[in-house]
Amino acid sequence: MIFIAIIVGCLIGALIGLNSPIVPYTYSGYLAIAIIAALDSVFGGISSILNKTFDLKVFISGFFGNAILSILLTYLGQKLNVDIYLAAIVVFVGRMFNNLAIIRRYYLAKFIKYRDEKKNAKEKQN
Amino acid sequence: MNKKEIAITLGIMCLVLTCAIVIQIKTMNTANSTASQTLRDNGLRDNVLKWKEKTDNLSQELKTAEAELERVRIEATQNDTTASAKEEELKHNNTLLGLTNVTGAGIVIELQDGKSGSSILTVEDSSDKLVHNDDLMSILNELRNAGAEAIEINGQRIINTSSITCEGNIIKINGERIGSPFTIKAIGSQALLYGQIIRSGSYLELMSDRGVNVKSVQQQDDIVINKYSGTINYKYMKTVDKK
Repeated sequence: MIFIAIIVGCLIGALIGLNSPIVPYTYSGYLAIAIIAALDSVFGGISSILNKTFDLKVFISGFFGNAILSILLTYLGQKLNVDIYLAAIVVFVGRMFNNLAIIRRYYLAKFIKYRDEKKNAKEKQN
Repeated sequence: MNKKEIAITLGIMCLVLTCAIVIQIKTMNTANSTASQTLRDNGLRDNVLKWKEKTDNLSQELKTAEAELERVRIEATQNDTTASAKEEELKHNNTLLGLTNVTGAGIVIELQDGKSGSSILTVEDSSDKLVHNDDLMSILNELRNAGAEAIEINGQRIINTSSITCEGNIIKINGERIGSPFTIKAIGSQALLYGQIIRSGSYLELMSDRGVNVKSVQQQDDIVINKYSGTINYKYMKTVDKK
């Protein structure tokens, strides 16, 4: 059910994106930083599911809140002539890698456990 | 929250995320071409500036070298009468060649491309109203014929190796681009030059009839004409020894 919803959402989103007008080049930087922030919360959400600490409210507020905040900070940085978006990218991408590492370890551990169980089952059969 | 609600919220979030990503990719695809265009333009501009700086530096060097040469020459001829006579001759020859700044009485002609469409009664060729390289050459001929000793067109000294060529919509003199309006300065006998230029049937009159804007022909007493800024070299010609 959840997977179907995600796939349908992605497909509809891609269709809307393909048929929507493009953003002016000046604002594409803001959109990019919002996408990075959103991706960060998605990976954060996945890793929290694996850690069994997932909270939908936290997830949704992080998804939209981080995106909007990063856009605001980028705008402020442009007004102050400081490249704040660099800091945002460092933080978000760094966290993304952390979360990806957590996900990787989880599935690696699962895979090793599965293999060991198979081995044990085989030995028992023999 | 039940499973249905979670599924719907996740679906909406995925929708927003993929929508944003696709829009961003589309934007970058269209922006890339313009971005690289400006990048190339910037590179070209940098190159132009670099070369300009190089040229400026070199001409500055040339200037200092010339000053040095002058100083050495003066030093060498200080206590030597034959050498100072040579120095005088050198100066004289340089003046003849157009390698010195000169001043004197003469005339100044100002020309400008005529405006097309000023006459609605006749069928006109707008090319007639422009100042062409042939026109400048004809005027130059008339000035030389009247005994002009030094001539300058828009800051380009006319020397014996000067060329006046047409390069599309601009004129090149001594390899430098010039354009309308034209200021022609000539040093020589004022009466002769002025008479030659404004006599009836002169080339200037023909040009004026054609529609070229002849702004003024003035006699001036202290025209300053700068020296030729390039270098004169020869590779192929040799002096013939008399036997």
